[in-house]
Amino acid sequence: MRHFSFLILLLISLNSFAQPNCEAYKYYGDTLKYQACKKAMEIKGHYQFSKEYQTVLDESIEIDPTFDYAYWAKSIAYLKSGDFVTWKKLIDKSVELKPKEHLGYRGWCRYQFFRDYKGAIKDIEKLDNLVDYDIGQSQNGTYHLNIAKGLCYRAIGEKEKAIAILEKQIKLNELEEFIGANDYLHLGVLYLETEKFDKAIEVFKKQSEYNELAENQYYLALTYKKLNNMNEYKSCLEKAKELYVGGRKMSDPYSNPMDKIYLDNIENEIKTAYNIGNRYTRL
Amino acid sequence: MKKSFLAIILLSILCACQTEKKIDEKKEYLRWVGDIAQNDQIDKPDFKVCNGNDKILQYFNLGKGPVYNEEKSEILNIFKSHYKPIYDKKENGLIRIRFIVNCEGKAGRFRVLQSDYDYQEKEFDGKIVSQLLNITKEIGNWKIFHKSEIPVDYYMYLIFKIKDGQLTEILP
Repeated sequence: MRHFSFLILLLISLNSFAQPNCEAYKYYGDTLKYQACKKAMEIKGHYQFSKEYQTVLDESIEIDPTFDYAYWAKSIAYLKSGDFVTWKKLIDKSVELKPKEHLGYRGWCRYQFFRDYKGAIKDIEKLDNLVDYDIGQSQNGTYHLNIAKGLCYRAIGEKEKAIAILEKQIKLNELEEFIGANDYLHLGVLYLETEKFDKAIEVFKKQSEYNELAENQYYLALTYKKLNNMNEYKSCLEKAKELYVGGRKMSDPYSNPMDKIYLDNIENEIKTAYNIGNRYTRL
Repeated sequence: MKKSFLAIILLSILCACQTEKKIDEKKEYLRWVGDIAQNDQIDKPDFKVCNGNDKILQYFNLGKGPVYNEEKSEILNIFKSHYKPIYDKKENGLIRIRFIVNCEGKAGRFRVLQSDYDYQEKEFDGKIVSQLLNITKEIGNWKIFHKSEIPVDYYMYLIFKIKDGQLTEILP
């Protein structure tokens, strides 16, 4: 039952990204949309960025300017090329035509590509108010949209609110046995930032079991540093470096994820750790 | 004084030349969305792509994410140490600088896109844009990408988030 309900949720969340079923428009007697849809399907085999892909979708829009899919599909290349002005015009059009299908996607993209935290929160919350089903995952599948919303609240300084959102969603994710790849890590960093060190250690350890990352050991190290546990602090930093060099680090094809660290962050912290250690030895 | 005034005017004109205008999304398309054609009036003539304009990729086409010559932290440090904030409550929004990295890891054909936080095009104070543009141009080496062991040319961009004239984030 649990897996079945998850499947339903997944289908709902993927709904806006699947190819439209043109025959359904025909079945319901919307001939214009059927024609626009058939035209849009001619994008098959063309790269999203290409002149051919964009032209086919323009023609689809000319047939039926209310066909949301064509605007959405056109917008992707602009998003990925960083052209936020054209992307926003196009994605707004698709949201205007079918808000339930595109709000979550727009919200996620605002966060992932432009770190537009307030805009992302607005979209995700609007979607939540519009529907009575689970709002689903981010486009790349890494986060439940509520986790993304929580990260946005954190970025605008509302950390306690972010913690409440993440705790609630992680509990639900645990019930579904579908934890996001970085969920525990982000919650741990929030605990660390709000000085809930024991809780931070607890979730960083869960992250280790679920999906070990250099970032996880790095922030665990910083937590031990706060607790003056110098042995664990150093040991976690060494593990973080080993993981980082071995490629076990946060990544995304288009952007740098929140809480991502770099090798020099770890190496600088290692230097600090040994300086502190030397100071203690001299004392 | 006159000289510095003249320099600001010239810089503003230069930035205006390199700024993209998004008047209408339906237009004559180039090969790919975001392609940048050589413009001899603003682009350095000695910047060359190695494999032809029709083979320039996007930074993410090789599946390695946004990669820099060193790590991103170096880019952050460069801007942190060189950008001088122009404090002004009106200076808010996004600035994208898009460019090509050639097979030798050199960058050229820089273009600027600017918007407010509602994604509406706007023009920032020329001193903000020119600083970001010049600092980006000064970065000597970018990551060299290979496809089937052949070094390729690719499009890259940096997006700068500006709040009250201060640089708050650099993406991607």
